[in-house]
Amino acid sequence: MELFNSESKKIISDPINVNNPISLQVLGICSALAVTIRLDQAIIMTLAVIFVLCSSNVILSLIRDYIPARVRIVIMLSVIASLVSVVDELLKAYLYDMSKQLSVFVGLIITNCIIMGRAEAFALKNSPSKAFLDGLGNGFGYGLIIIIVSFFRELFGAGTITLPDGGAGYVLWSIPESWYAAGYENIGLLVLSPGAFIILGLVIWAQREMAGIDEEA
Amino acid sequence: MYSNNYTLGFVFIVTLVLGTMLSFTKDSVKSLQDQNLKADVQKTILRSLNFEENLLESNESIEQTFKNYIDAKCVNVEGEIVECNIEEVDIEKNEETLPIYIRMNNEKIEGIALPIAGKGLWSTIFGYIALNPDTDSVLGIQFYKHGETPGLGGEVEKKWFTDNFVNHPIKESNGEITYVPKKIRNENGKIISISVIKGGVDYSKSNKSAIHQVDGISGATVTADGVSDFLLEDLLRYEKTLDKIRDYGTI
Repeated sequence: MELFNSESKKIISDPINVNNPISLQVLGICSALAVTIRLDQAIIMTLAVIFVLCSSNVILSLIRDYIPARVRIVIMLSVIASLVSVVDELLKAYLYDMSKQLSVFVGLIITNCIIMGRAEAFALKNSPSKAFLDGLGNGFGYGLIIIIVSFFRELFGAGTITLPDGGAGYVLWSIPESWYAAGYENIGLLVLSPGAFIILGLVIWAQREMAGIDEEA
Repeated sequence: MYSNNYTLGFVFIVTLVLGTMLSFTKDSVKSLQDQNLKADVQKTILRSLNFEENLLESNESIEQTFKNYIDAKCVNVEGEIVECNIEEVDIEKNEETLPIYIRMNNEKIEGIALPIAGKGLWSTIFGYIALNPDTDSVLGIQFYKHGETPGLGGEVEKKWFTDNFVNHPIKESNGEITYVPKKIRNENGKIISISVIKGGVDYSKSNKSAIHQVDGISGATVTADGVSDFLLEDLLRYEKTLDKIRDYGTI
């Protein structure tokens, strides 16, 4: 199979745009609300989800012809749970501060519906290479949304933009003191979960509008 | 349809492979994780003792700062120094040997950090409280390990909560507000610790105990009550040691 023929392109681009797992299928919302307080957290979370999603898709696709249908959910869960545990252990070893901030939400990747959903709906029916592309596409689709949400939450909620580094994060830009002196204030609501709901709602609206999706029609 | 034996065999093999992968991963990163944990505990102690953040940036600088400034030893409830392997003391059940970390500057005590630990709602919360050399006013408090709900009980580790312990507002006669640390001793010098107050501290003049109280966390009353309880319990274990430091300036 040619890697970048139109079918492969569609497998990658669909979940980023017209079939986005968060904004269209509304999956993976729990972590999308929890880890979007800061941009660096969202970026690391995205990488972790892409890794788990691609690996689980490829592994499950490789053994798809041998999995007895009766135990397929159990097998899917064990593969996903093991991969998530590996990510968790690696974060604790190499990005300790980040793993403390993400706390339980790394472990909760296991219950992220996107991963089980892609395994059941796609990986068990398609070849490993397609399953890999599907994982990549859905991972990027998930990441795109949570990175946009976290960018706005951090910028307007905390007044900073933080990129991941080895430690507690590298502050790329923060709102200058002179703005605060002139009366500017951070919107505290955005740091809390309701703020995430509001931003996520706006992003979903904008994204559906751009993709031209109308559920009423 | 696969036979039962095939299904069982398949599940067995998958479990075996995944289990091996997991234990291999854990084994290869265990020593790195242990170093991180050790540095994290040291960082918590240093933070509670109000060291500047730029000394706490990497594991190496944390270890160096700890070595240079901290005098770590153990005492017993009578306030006598005892032999111990300080890294192996069980913080949660420390009744015989009590670790104590003293910030020294040219033979002078600048702060005393004591481990605190106890039950919150779901988990044991671990942290350190540091006192000024008067063994009364709080220098800082930090929590480093807990399994409380993020956003609720998990807020104990956040700056806004720990800052409550060092920012007691006092209204001056000219209307300006100055901040002093909270105190753990009453007027008679007895240790009464600091309580976390549900709903928030009453800062009116009539509330004489406000200096021994900090604001609670919405939605985390059980965690907050736990913190109040174990803070008092743990401070009382160090009562004789702290009295000694207050009266003689040394243990």
